[in-house]
Amino acid sequence: MSTKIKQRLNRVLLWGLIVVMAFWMLFPFYWAVNSSFKSEGMLAMTPTTFVPRDPDTGALFLYLRNYEAVFTNQSFLRAIGNSLIVAASTTLLSLAIGSFAGFALGKLRYRGKTATLYIILAMTMFPAIAVLTGLYAIITELKIPPLLSMIFTYMLFTLPFTAWVLTAFFRELPTEIFQSAQVDGASPLQTFYLILLPLTAPAMVTTGLLAFIGAWNEYLFALTFTSIAPDARTLPVIIANFPSQFSRQIPFGEIMAGGVVSSIPLVLLVFIFQRRIVAGLTAGAVKG
Amino acid sequence: MAKQGHGDLAVQEQRLAYGLLAPTFVVLLAIAIYPLFSVFYNSFTNNVFASATPTETVGFENYRRLLSLTIQVVPPKLDEAGQPVVDAETGEVKYESAVSILPREPLRFRPVNQFTLWGTRYVLGATDPAFVLAVWDTMVFGVSTVFLELVLGIVVALLVNTNFKGRGVMRALILIPWAIPTAVSSQMWAYMLQPNRTGFFNTLFWHLGVGNGEIPFLSDPAWQLPSMILIDVWKTTPFMALLLLAGLQLIPEDIYEAADVDGAGPVRKFFQLTLPLLRGTIAVALVFRTLDALRVFDLFQIVLGQARYSMASFTYYELIQNRQMGYSSASSVVIFVVLSIFAVAYMRGLGVKSDEH
Repeated sequence: MSTKIKQRLNRVLLWGLIVVMAFWMLFPFYWAVNSSFKSEGMLAMTPTTFVPRDPDTGALFLYLRNYEAVFTNQSFLRAIGNSLIVAASTTLLSLAIGSFAGFALGKLRYRGKTATLYIILAMTMFPAIAVLTGLYAIITELKIPPLLSMIFTYMLFTLPFTAWVLTAFFRELPTEIFQSAQVDGASPLQTFYLILLPLTAPAMVTTGLLAFIGAWNEYLFALTFTSIAPDARTLPVIIANFPSQFSRQIPFGEIMAGGVVSSIPLVLLVFIFQRRIVAGLTAGAVKG
Repeated sequence: MAKQGHGDLAVQEQRLAYGLLAPTFVVLLAIAIYPLFSVFYNSFTNNVFASATPTETVGFENYRRLLSLTIQVVPPKLDEAGQPVVDAETGEVKYESAVSILPREPLRFRPVNQFTLWGTRYVLGATDPAFVLAVWDTMVFGVSTVFLELVLGIVVALLVNTNFKGRGVMRALILIPWAIPTAVSSQMWAYMLQPNRTGFFNTLFWHLGVGNGEIPFLSDPAWQLPSMILIDVWKTTPFMALLLLAGLQLIPEDIYEAADVDGAGPVRKFFQLTLPLLRGTIAVALVFRTLDALRVFDLFQIVLGQARYSMASFTYYELIQNRQMGYSSASSVVIFVVLSIFAVAYMRGLGVKSDEH
């Protein structure tokens, strides 16, 4: 009897904590969605309302003009394109280059392997801010276009990470596959392309997703390299320095709408690939 | 050299390995190592970006300007009789102005902070108070966020490690703060922290009877860092929780069963089993998160702009706003050194061997 009560109490406590946690994690995003459906007048209401309400009647009212404004805003639309181009290109490049390195580090025998492993690991922690001025100097000196500069420099964080995680996946593949392919007369490179690469497809998806999210969210390089090239700005830069259509106060409604739009692809990815993302994130760190 | 058949194979394999690694290392050389050296070199010059003045090497001049600190005694103001002047209203002793005490030659010092120790008034002066404050603020920010994240992260990890219906959904939900771009979440929070009752927090506090509904969370220096810490803790606790969850899942179930037999309560089990077994994971998570927190940029730049700097946003503004290539390079080097020291100290202190796991 008393243990039953105790169990029930534990259950209540557990669910209480779960609800608090879910609320804490989701509320700021809910607030952004809430604010994105408010007109300037509704945003200025004090005290603020927890759902979009008409200022006069107090009735529930969804104001859609912010989304309209965002989707007719040329710089925002261009930013979606730029973000897609940069994030996709960086991801593909990192996967291509990183899978070579991962194969060598995970499956081949050569001198200096420990050293190369350590270098890759150290590079995963490399602070981007430390090379910002150096990269900026090179880019302006060589006049590299901003989109291309972002694609290349983002590899600073996507490439070591991709190589590191793929190394772990390659290492786990049974060596026999590799050996029997060699016995059949396949060169190591053929083995890599025809046999190992298809096997690592799930790992590629995982690391690719993380590289994509990282590149999609990157702000420091994007802000610096597009400081005099507004046409090349990516979503985070546009959201952080929102270009107002009209000169007035900070257009918070539009910023929130833009923020919600640029977060939705990521939220969807998280829900579809939750397991893979978690596996990739922890493989990158815990195995270090 | 190798004349045996399998030796040739080994040589071949080695060549292949080097060939496959080459692209990665070429890329990293171009975007990390070379720029790092150029930053290091530039930090010893007076290079101003896009300026007509020729660049010269200036030795450690940039570092002296960044890092020079001094502590001076501030004497009380004396009246004609040589007695300290006391404020008639507050009864407090009046002091000389700090600026007049601080050295001006060869470098001009400006006051950072004043403090009283054992009845004597001191002033801390620096040649670049903005940078000294940026370093201090970044440290306070880093230590506080990482500590809070660790505590909350453990709670979250333990929660999503228990069995309940909808655990999968919950594990996806906690990824949302992590996945939302920092630029977006910074704007979201900046809006929630508006200095009047159009903001969520001021409305909430006002309903609770705390404050007047006009707390300037982002413009009052006393509130700025706590606000930054709050935002960052929200954003990065999920990552911490996931790392810790991975560690929790490595702990074998039967250890707890043995503890059950011994009649250990949940609190004792946590402190005597879970926490010690999680030590390695916690150490790795702390290293990753501290390094991340100390190079915070997006949040500070977007929410506080030039009102208050982190080390990274200071460097950014010196480069882009002031075009001080040499000076910002020096501050980059300082950041790099600080981060390296933290990384090494952590690994040493927590006894993490890199070949663990």
